[in-house]
Amino acid sequence: MPEVLIATDLAKRFGDLVAVDGVSFSIGEGETFGLLGPNGAGKTTSISMIVGLLERDGGTVEIDGEQISTRSTRGKASIGLVPQDLAIYPDLTATENLRFFGRLYGLDSNTLDTRVDEVLDVIGLSDRAGDLTKEFSGGMKRRLNIGIGLLHRPRLLILDEPTVGVDPQSRNAILESVESLSGEGMAVLYTTHYMEEAERLCDRVAIIDEGRIKAEGSRRELVSLVGQKDRVSITGDVTDAVGSVSSIPGVSEVSAGDHRLDILINDAGSILPELLARVTSSGGNITGVEIVEPNLEAVFLHLTGKALRD
Amino acid sequence: MPAALRIAGKDLKLRARDRSVFIIGIGAPLLLAFIFDLIFGGAFGAGGLTLEYGLVDEDRSEVSSAFSSVLDDLQDQQILTIQTFPDTDSARSAVEDGDLDAFFLIEAGFGQEVAIGSPQIGVVGDIDAPTATQIAGAIADQFSTGVEATKLAILTTAGVAGVPPTPEFITSLEGDPSSAAFTFQLTDESAATRQLDSTTYYAVGMAIFFMFFTVQFGVIGLLEEEREGTLTRLFAAPISRWSVVLGKAILSFALGFVSMSVLVIATSLLMGADWGPPLGVILLVLAAVAAGTGLMGMVASFARTPEGAGNLGAIIAVTLGLLGGVFFPLGQGEDLLSKLSLITPHAWFIRGLSDIAGGAAWTAAIPSTLALLGFAMVTGTLGWMLMRRRLRR
Repeated sequence: MPEVLIATDLAKRFGDLVAVDGVSFSIGEGETFGLLGPNGAGKTTSISMIVGLLERDGGTVEIDGEQISTRSTRGKASIGLVPQDLAIYPDLTATENLRFFGRLYGLDSNTLDTRVDEVLDVIGLSDRAGDLTKEFSGGMKRRLNIGIGLLHRPRLLILDEPTVGVDPQSRNAILESVESLSGEGMAVLYTTHYMEEAERLCDRVAIIDEGRIKAEGSRRELVSLVGQKDRVSITGDVTDAVGSVSSIPGVSEVSAGDHRLDILINDAGSILPELLARVTSSGGNITGVEIVEPNLEAVFLHLTGKALRD
Repeated sequence: MPAALRIAGKDLKLRARDRSVFIIGIGAPLLLAFIFDLIFGGAFGAGGLTLEYGLVDEDRSEVSSAFSSVLDDLQDQQILTIQTFPDTDSARSAVEDGDLDAFFLIEAGFGQEVAIGSPQIGVVGDIDAPTATQIAGAIADQFSTGVEATKLAILTTAGVAGVPPTPEFITSLEGDPSSAAFTFQLTDESAATRQLDSTTYYAVGMAIFFMFFTVQFGVIGLLEEEREGTLTRLFAAPISRWSVVLGKAILSFALGFVSMSVLVIATSLLMGADWGPPLGVILLVLAAVAAGTGLMGMVASFARTPEGAGNLGAIIAVTLGLLGGVFFPLGQGEDLLSKLSLITPHAWFIRGLSDIAGGAAWTAAIPSTLALLGFAMVTGTLGWMLMRRRLRR
């Protein structure tokens, strides 16, 4: 998988405050990479340096083989930025907003016409294309904010907390849009402080706090890093199956309660069929099964000693 | 199309939708110029003021007759009208009835007093005609000064000749000394004294005054982009940061130029303003708009918010406007106010148009144009440097 973004040793200070300290990561083609961390962790500062908005105190950024700085213009054409705050003109229509930014990215008239229609369709605003955006709901503005970032088919799309302040329905629409992007071969850098968004969207996640990356990897890699296991709870007349279940390889702990078995296991998904078969063959009558996988919240807590919070 | 022009075009569309640019750039200055001309046009205008005077000659001497003939000359030149009254009471009644603006009073003994003292001609004016009364006072003062000068000349000549200044000696001098002393030189000095007629003056004043507000719409746009978050997206785009700043400057300049051009045409057609030779006017307008853009750009680079820039810009525009004489004509002499006015682009703009309004060639506008371009260079460079520091972040 060719790498689209390579960020190496990014550093930034604001006076005495070290905002970003040696942040390095890379993102491959078609990959969605998450920066997960609380507010003030250094996510937006890192993004600002990657996009060339902010001068770096140290480190390098390479996008599609082009070095990026505040002065570079060529490499920036490969980036689509969706800033955390809305960045649209309220007194222009959705189409006018798209066309203006499309022109700045060098799209010719024919391409622009096609892409504006496509993007409006993707973000679900085709029927409001001619309306001034100041008349839009918050969710519609958010979607247009994303649409502008997508317009020129960037190699790298950077979304900086795109769902902050968005209603659940629009939030889901945004997440679905992002999920579809990696399928188009676009590299996506997604920052969030919502653990569930990182888990749902990202192939790999870097946990960032106090300007430093604490850990990086797939969700399972991160979870295993801190020794967390899946918990499977089976309810019904199942307590007689304790012995049979305990002997399954990978099961580390089994506890029986009132019509309930709680099993700690390394990878519930792969062992679950055998687990259920053992319970059934032991004469058990299963009325319910619940799997609780360890989440990134727990990983973050383990790594930083604090909870993810707004 | 360069990115700067695209940004300027986008901003122009936004401003057109806002409509306030039309009100501030064209409507307000046109309306105010019209109102100012209505209010002050008569007082400052070359042809708008009628001077109706009376004369009470209680002296009936040769000297008082000379003054009377001076007034008759002025009447012949249609500068004033003069009526003779037999006594003070009848003249005073005419003033109180509003038939006269003022009357001159030459008291008995005026002619005799010339030889021994410094006699003065009295002026009694209508309280509702202060300007006409002041002009009457100036005429009387000038006559008295002339009498004094003539007396001094005769005494000096007699002293040099070693003879007493007898009437025979005086008549032996060439010409008539009294009439020489009382001659008024009335010439059209509008070009030499750089005076615009009132209609043009207020058209010019309001155009330059509101231009400073109009150009703000462009430069403040940068702060609005910053507040709205769109500056982030512009800086992330594959364009130079300076094309963003340049786009704002282009819009400022375009708005200022269009606004002033419309005002030049509108005041010429609707109010009869005479701006002077077109080439000179274009030069001055371009230079003034450049100065306004530079100055307001510098102001915007100091401010933290669009509202702050707007307020600061308004304070500076009004202060410079007052100092530059857009509301009231300032003299162009050696006084402090006249000198201070030269630190304002407004004064240079008015001066430049005054220079070409009296029938001079367009080249007479070049000194003021250069001064305005100097303003543009200095303030624009300072603004550019300050903004550069700010945008580096």
